[in-house]
Amino acid sequence: MKFQVWHRTTYNYDKPVTDSFGVGHLTPRELGWQFVSTPQVTIDPMPADLTQETDYYGNLMTYFQVTSAHTELQVTSSADVEVLVPAYDEAALARPWEEARPSAQPGVPGAWQAVDFALPSPEVPPSERARAYAAESLLPGRPLGEAVEDLMHRIHTDFTYEVGATTVTSTVEDVMTNRAGVCQDFAHLTLSCLRSHGLAARYVSGYLATDPPPGRERIVGADASHAWAAVWVPGSDIWLAIDPTNDQRVGDRYVTTAWGRDYGDVPPLKGVIFSDATTSTLKVEVDVAPLS
Amino acid sequence: MTALRDYATALSQPTLTGAGPRYDEVVGPDGALRGSWKGLAELAVNLTGSDLARLHAEIDRFLTNDGVTYARAGRTPGPWRLDPMPLVISAAEWAPLETGLAQRAELLNAILVDLYGDQVLLRDQVIPPEVVFGHAGFVRPMARKSAADRRPLVVAAADLGRGVDGSWTVLSDRAQAPSGIGYAIENRRVISQVLPELYREAGLHRVRPFLSAFRAALVQTADPDVVDPRIVVLSPGTHSETAFDQANVAASLGLPLVRGSDLEVREGKVYLREYGGSREQVDVILRRVDASWSDPLELRADSQLGVAGLSEAVRRGTVRIVNGLGAGILENPGLLPFLPAASEALLGESLRLPSVRTWWCGDPDSLAHVVANLGNLAVRAIDRPGDELVGQEPEHLRRLITAQPHRYVGQEQLALSQAPTFAAGGLSPAPLTLRTFTLRYGSVYRPMIGGLASLHDDDGVGSASKDVWVLKGNPTDADQGLVGVLAHTTVQARPAVVPRALDDLYWFGRYVARTEDTLRLLLTTHALSEDFLSRPGSVGGRATSVLLEALERLAGGHRSEDGVEHDLRSLLLDGNRPGSVAQSVSALRDCAQSVRDQLSLDVWKSFGSYDRASWELVRHDHSYQIADSAGRMLNATMALHGITGNMVRDEGWRMIHVGGWLERALQLTQMLRMAVVRRGIDIDRMVLNQLLVAADSTVTYRRRYGGYVRPRTVLDLLLLDPENPRSLLFALTELRRHLGDLKSSTGSTRPERLLDELIEECSGIDLYALVSLDGESRPHLTRQLNLVDRQLLVLTDAITAVHFEAGPPMRPLGLAEGP
Repeated sequence: MKFQVWHRTTYNYDKPVTDSFGVGHLTPRELGWQFVSTPQVTIDPMPADLTQETDYYGNLMTYFQVTSAHTELQVTSSADVEVLVPAYDEAALARPWEEARPSAQPGVPGAWQAVDFALPSPEVPPSERARAYAAESLLPGRPLGEAVEDLMHRIHTDFTYEVGATTVTSTVEDVMTNRAGVCQDFAHLTLSCLRSHGLAARYVSGYLATDPPPGRERIVGADASHAWAAVWVPGSDIWLAIDPTNDQRVGDRYVTTAWGRDYGDVPPLKGVIFSDATTSTLKVEVDVAPLS
Repeated sequence: MTALRDYATALSQPTLTGAGPRYDEVVGPDGALRGSWKGLAELAVNLTGSDLARLHAEIDRFLTNDGVTYARAGRTPGPWRLDPMPLVISAAEWAPLETGLAQRAELLNAILVDLYGDQVLLRDQVIPPEVVFGHAGFVRPMARKSAADRRPLVVAAADLGRGVDGSWTVLSDRAQAPSGIGYAIENRRVISQVLPELYREAGLHRVRPFLSAFRAALVQTADPDVVDPRIVVLSPGTHSETAFDQANVAASLGLPLVRGSDLEVREGKVYLREYGGSREQVDVILRRVDASWSDPLELRADSQLGVAGLSEAVRRGTVRIVNGLGAGILENPGLLPFLPAASEALLGESLRLPSVRTWWCGDPDSLAHVVANLGNLAVRAIDRPGDELVGQEPEHLRRLITAQPHRYVGQEQLALSQAPTFAAGGLSPAPLTLRTFTLRYGSVYRPMIGGLASLHDDDGVGSASKDVWVLKGNPTDADQGLVGVLAHTTVQARPAVVPRALDDLYWFGRYVARTEDTLRLLLTTHALSEDFLSRPGSVGGRATSVLLEALERLAGGHRSEDGVEHDLRSLLLDGNRPGSVAQSVSALRDCAQSVRDQLSLDVWKSFGSYDRASWELVRHDHSYQIADSAGRMLNATMALHGITGNMVRDEGWRMIHVGGWLERALQLTQMLRMAVVRRGIDIDRMVLNQLLVAADSTVTYRRRYGGYVRPRTVLDLLLLDPENPRSLLFALTELRRHLGDLKSSTGSTRPERLLDELIEECSGIDLYALVSLDGESRPHLTRQLNLVDRQLLVLTDAITAVHFEAGPPMRPLGLAEGP
């Protein structure tokens, strides 16, 4: 499917900002099943410095600095993206999940790189509760695809999607306790579950195209950025991407922007300002419009 | 018997403690001195216990005079300790160490290049990926092609121990931001002065040329197109545990010592924020801030020590950082078991210098070995420095390790060699480690021929240090094996005037003046109280009360119930009492520490004098000790005046004087309040006399007005006399002159305008009206002093706003949600 993705972040400050540095992961990645054209990032006010470079994980990272005084900062990215259904290697997914532990098979191609995603990361520390929870899905000898999808299904069932149930500082433990969260929390929880059993899993940020309710017009800007998880499949270049928020494998309605060990590696936008301002308001508008 | 003979004799006795044997650095198994000490034997053997005690005291005096401190993590800084007996290593013993250290640095650099580049070592399973990916020192923003650096490791340090068989083993590598060179050169400076004969006779390698090579290496690090690269030392600040080391390295290399807030990134380049809003590009940063704290934009967002955008500047190649931001990964003990294979893979050589036997628990067999030997192995986390796991229950360790095996190693505990160390009037054996420093110089790595030895307590904690003497094989050998390195002088270095440093110098000036004025008034008060302590109702007793009140106005706090003496002691010694001398001196020391690179070493001698005067006062509870100690403190303060008198007349010097004269004016308006109340003619005369003493103006007064003191003439001399350096008008005029001399002066900056008004106002004071009485008080004088005081405070704020404004604070992109 083809989409035009549009993502705008607006900060308003109570006092002028004299210097603003930002780093963003805003431009969808080029992948075997995803083609990106006319990507663009614009910043208002006009930045004194704006560059893009591929980061350690192959994502396109935008760096900018605004040096003119401002009380409003607007960062807008847009791109046309064509997405195919990823061609998952079903035979590989049918192998026992235990064989997908990269540390246990250093000889398998790609295993040494996958190790990075099998270890705890800053926002996904080890969790005994997550390990125990996942053990019910990761039964001995169970096929990888089936085990992982079962875990996804259980998370979808056992946890409530609830905006405001968590904050940016919430941990996997909080989510386990509250049994509620948003897509980022479910992605982190999935990572914690899989990594605690030695599997390699990465955090993926991007967008999901949604249909308007029947009989309604599409509302521009009402979409949101999304996040999910993907697990390493030995012998395959394509990681199995699963969306616990929507209980489905990631298909051609998902636009992949960036991946890393957790949210901290790939936030859409983060930065540092120099200002006497003490409060700000944040507005995020996302639109994923189908293109014919 | 001499100390060393006693030591040798004691060693030959069977030990009662059952401690295992150690290699002794001085005495061989046959009881004779080892080869390295033969040439020194005649002088060294003759040293008696009392000689050593004297040397020890002298060393302490030198170190105190230089303000040498060291703080263990989380503690307040304490004095640096140096043992009089050096660690002596012969040329023959040193040679294999030198080649081994050079090879090791070459290898570590190659590992660094690979891990941040192609990662062949991981792909080919030479190093398990968990060791690298699971380590907090692996800085992913630096693992990109654009950040590729062929020489990320410029200075490597290693801690070595010598085993029972006399061979050296590396215990750990230091690459993040190695400390110790500053201490090593200070140790050498002190030892060469207290043991001049031994030092001369030894035929050892001097360390100074290493500094020249270090500076040259930093220059070589810069982009070759830059003609005269600007190099700075980035420090986390004066509260860092090795603040002295950082400042001493900066001062010895002639480089400005800066903090993150002194630097800024523009268009991907790093600039030094200079006074008056100008900027100068920085080409090389000698980094003493850990990588994770170096860039709040891409690394730890909560860091206030870093420079936003630094990682990006590195990736654009506009600045070089020494050592590279990723170098912390090399401090990972999990790498140690894999170094021999890495050496074969990257250098095609076998590793010369062995590391301490280490088992990485991510390997199942090693895990089993470590868990089975928890009693005799040291367990360490791969990325947490320190010995936090030492002494933990084996069961607790086993749980930690098995939960996350890849995060831990077990290490053999080496029986460290021992060396005679001064303690309790004689020499006794203490275990030691040796820190070495290896420098990328030209195309090769060269170890400093020397180093820093640390003595260890029984619990393994460093307690003191030793200078390290490496002897020359041939007297004609070049020092450090370096021929043709251009000696550098600190004079060539261009000073950097960052607003923060000017702020520190301004406060330096203020605290010197405050200390002096408080001490003078305190001495006056003490002298008077000596005479009248027993007669509180007498004229002298009541005058003493007036002075004490004045002192309390200056210093804050309230009169102690325990009497005058107790109060005066607390004013001198209590660092928690606002306005006390102890507090002013401590603040003064903080200011000096943070601009250490710009001040003469003599400044630290003055602090040494303060410290000794304080110690004496603590030790002796006679009343006269108060006067003695305060007098010595006053001398130390006057010495600081003298030292600043010899400074180059630059912005920094002017700022010291701006601060000094401003503080003088503030102190004076407080002191003159003694004269606002009439208390009877005898008391008033006595108070005015003491006021003149405290303001150091007695002689001038007598010359000008004869022996009879009256309020109007005293005020004339202390308020309005244009020639008396202790008068308010004089202070304001000097302040105006220095403000006007600042580069940013326009003649009408806000501080200048405020001051012009104040001077005009003061010049128009009618003295007769000022002293006129209303009942028992002088309302005009009170009003006038209040007015001056208020205007001085407004002026203070204006000076801060105009000259030290560092710009708005750094915050995250998104703040607390607003309305």
